[in-house]
Amino acid sequence: MATSDSISEVTTPSAAPGNGLLVLLAAMTAEQLESVLVSLTASFPAESLVIASPDPFPEDFDPSVRIVAAPPASPSWTRTAADFVSASQLAEKNQARAILMLGAESGSLAPSSIRTLADAVLTTPTDLAVPCYQLPPHAGLVNSAILYPLTRALFASRARFPLAVDLGLSLRMAQRLAGAAHRFTAANQGEAPLWPVNEATVAGFSIDQFDVGPRAQPQPGGPDLNSILPLVTGSLFADIDAKAAFWQRYRELPPPSDPVPHAPSTDAPADIAPMLHAFRLAYSNLQEVWSLVLPPNSLLGLKRLSTTDGDLFRMPESLWARIVFDFLLAYRLRTINRGHLLGALIPLYLAWVASHINITASGADPEAHIEAVAAAFEADKTYLVSRWRWPDRFNP
Amino acid sequence: MKKLASATDPLWYKDAIIYELHVRAFADSNGDGIGDFPGLLSRLDYLQDLGVTCIWLLPFFPSPLRDDGYDIANYVDVNPSYGTLDDFKLVLNAAHLRNMQVMIELVINHTSDQHPWFQAARSAPPGSPAREMYVWSSTNQMFEGARIIFTDTEKSNWTWNETANAYYWHRFFAHQPDLNFNNPAVIEEVIKAMRFWLDMGVDALRMDAIPYLVERDGTSCENLPETHAVIKSLRAAIDAEYANRPILAEANQWPADVRPYFGDGDECHMAFHFPLMPRIYMALRQEDRLPITDIMAQTPPIPDICQWGLFLRNHDELTLEMVTSDERDYMYFAYSADPRMRVNVGIRRRLAPLVDNNRRRIELLNSLLLSFPGTPILYYGDEIGMGDNIYLGDRNGVRTPMQWNSDRNAGFSKCDPARLYLPVVMDPIYGYQAINVEAQLSDQSSLLHWTRNMIALRKLFQVFGRGSLSFLNPANRKILAYLRELKRSDGSHEIVLCVANLSRFAQPVSLDLAAHKGAQPVEMLGYVPFPIVTEAPYLLSLAPYSFLWFELQPPNAALARSSSR
Repeated sequence: MATSDSISEVTTPSAAPGNGLLVLLAAMTAEQLESVLVSLTASFPAESLVIASPDPFPEDFDPSVRIVAAPPASPSWTRTAADFVSASQLAEKNQARAILMLGAESGSLAPSSIRTLADAVLTTPTDLAVPCYQLPPHAGLVNSAILYPLTRALFASRARFPLAVDLGLSLRMAQRLAGAAHRFTAANQGEAPLWPVNEATVAGFSIDQFDVGPRAQPQPGGPDLNSILPLVTGSLFADIDAKAAFWQRYRELPPPSDPVPHAPSTDAPADIAPMLHAFRLAYSNLQEVWSLVLPPNSLLGLKRLSTTDGDLFRMPESLWARIVFDFLLAYRLRTINRGHLLGALIPLYLAWVASHINITASGADPEAHIEAVAAAFEADKTYLVSRWRWPDRFNP
Repeated sequence: MKKLASATDPLWYKDAIIYELHVRAFADSNGDGIGDFPGLLSRLDYLQDLGVTCIWLLPFFPSPLRDDGYDIANYVDVNPSYGTLDDFKLVLNAAHLRNMQVMIELVINHTSDQHPWFQAARSAPPGSPAREMYVWSSTNQMFEGARIIFTDTEKSNWTWNETANAYYWHRFFAHQPDLNFNNPAVIEEVIKAMRFWLDMGVDALRMDAIPYLVERDGTSCENLPETHAVIKSLRAAIDAEYANRPILAEANQWPADVRPYFGDGDECHMAFHFPLMPRIYMALRQEDRLPITDIMAQTPPIPDICQWGLFLRNHDELTLEMVTSDERDYMYFAYSADPRMRVNVGIRRRLAPLVDNNRRRIELLNSLLLSFPGTPILYYGDEIGMGDNIYLGDRNGVRTPMQWNSDRNAGFSKCDPARLYLPVVMDPIYGYQAINVEAQLSDQSSLLHWTRNMIALRKLFQVFGRGSLSFLNPANRKILAYLRELKRSDGSHEIVLCVANLSRFAQPVSLDLAAHKGAQPVEMLGYVPFPIVTEAPYLLSLAPYSFLWFELQPPNAALARSSSR
């Protein structure tokens, strides 16, 4: 858990920082850190910068840049509640006007992209600057299948990466996020993810998205899909539950921007056979659980899918949207143990991934498919709201 | 050390769902036949799942229990039958962890005659500090303008005490001598008791019987300016040391007489709306909205930070003090055919038996409770439609053990049934084998599930707790229709239209909604869009005892909705 005591000076400032930019770096390797520092010093005047990192700075680093120690953090593939508490505390302590949070592997971001995110919160009224990464077609699919469509449908935000590790924050946005993060840190859950886009939307703050090009994505260390998906999905479900009174009001979705092309894939075509095997096995074994969560129409759709050949395997967008919505409802209602519930979502997610791979292998633009999925979530939001308000199991 | 308030919003009580319960009646953990704090602790998850945000605990202090705990013998301890102070703290902290606040009773008009203050006062010399804690007289002729409240048991508000060789004053039972609020030492002692509980983290106080604090000859001894001065001093003491700790006033008076208890926002934060409750039942039975609209028209505006407390039933009789003689007679004929159903000036029945266990009537009344301007207060057991036992004395018929399941003693206690503080309800309609929490949890169509869904729905719309009320006046008086509207400082706006059919038959209604032309009514339970409002009368048909709640979405939302379909 981050505390104010853990934030200490590393260098004596040569001058008062004034209304500058605080850059909070995630834990990263020495090479990555050096690369990020080069980008930062190339992009910003040294006197306007305060850089905070949990890692030791290179000994030959520009002495005119004010550097401070960030609380120790383990390398993470996502931003945690503790990060946002630290960001707010450091910004306040160093009288920063805006904050740029850069995640692990951020050395792979182009200097101009870093500059774009920072400028947005420094020189425009933007409260939250979120990046839109250019990723390979089959990267970040938990985000594409669940996080992005849900956030877009419920919070009327087109932020393509609601759990981005790089963010630009206005001071008030940082304070707001720190307030939200305190709920977790106070309960000794500082590693919990936070949802800046949702928080900004509820606060009525302005959000802007910026194309930042390709980026190496930090990968989770030990845990696999069986722990990652329940972690992030459960966290988002909980946040949605807490903000139900907000998202159930009508919200107008901002107009779409130009789609971001995917980075060229260097991977070999993914083998969907293990995914389909996992789905079919679950279809046999998890019927009882799914029946508690899903209505008859969805179960019928899954039955049809379970007998579909691999190359013809397509999960309709509307079916996927309802599955996610019904799991969200079951999470809210605690229909079954939440851990078991989210575990039961994994084989369904794998089925969606298999379907996505098949669709893109047939020549469809991956981003177009993801947009179609998000549009299905939006179109069916009324289903979620009505079930949320009157969660009778006797429904179609 | 003072604990900080568990609620961060100073107006949290406006959005609250209050659940009234008696520790004695809720759950017994040690098998002695009496509910206790560890038992309540074990049932907090149930209350959280129901959607309760504030638990109102009836008196749990040491007491001879001759008035269900409202005869307090020690203000700063827990009745040993219910556990210990540490047990109470465990419940308080566990409730806070579940985002629930806790309201306790501040019964300050009187104490038990067993309270050490009264025991000392009896034998203290007249005029001495100990004696002056209570109101004494050498005659029983003072304050003759004060009515007798417990008409069934009390013949006078004065009772002779041999030891004191004087009469002492009591507005309630003779064993409940009134404290003397002309004496500053009494106020100081009350503040000490308040501090004791607020320091611990208690979130709110219900002030019992506050119209009667001060007496003056030649008056009714109710609602006196001196009483308001006492309340202001108590409120000031709270505000000086604590944040976000509201006071709920029990003042069974006409709305215009209750209004001063809000002061200028410097007396009580909340007050029960007593006259509304019997009129809701009257409107239902007469199939006519007039009793409701009439009493609401007599209800004056209150300061912005204040709130009405609304209820359908509570631990007392359905009081008929705030109705006319004819209305009282009508209510007796309509709702208490058996004379045993009557006590004092009221009807001692629970919600479900009052409406002949008709599910649609129960739902309709709850819909009014949840959508009228104020904070809804549910009485324990009414969420499952518990019945009563009119053969028990006083108001005990509505204070029977909570019915958790169909096991022995309704799952309330494992004791020998003969040890129970009161017998569980056992009749074939309302008995615990038919009506219990466990059965209703497993029945998706149960009243319990319905109540839970309605509470959750209400909590999504702040307008219910904070918005204004305006009645529509359709020609059909069997229909009660009203708008709730909330304009926030950030420019956002919520409007909800509520329409209720008070009749046992289907009814048509034509509403004038021209002021909201272009808005899209969206039925709130199912999120179903209805035809857009125009200048023409808005026509609806309602099933018997049904109600509809609509969110009036602005015209731009209506357009977007139609284009997305």
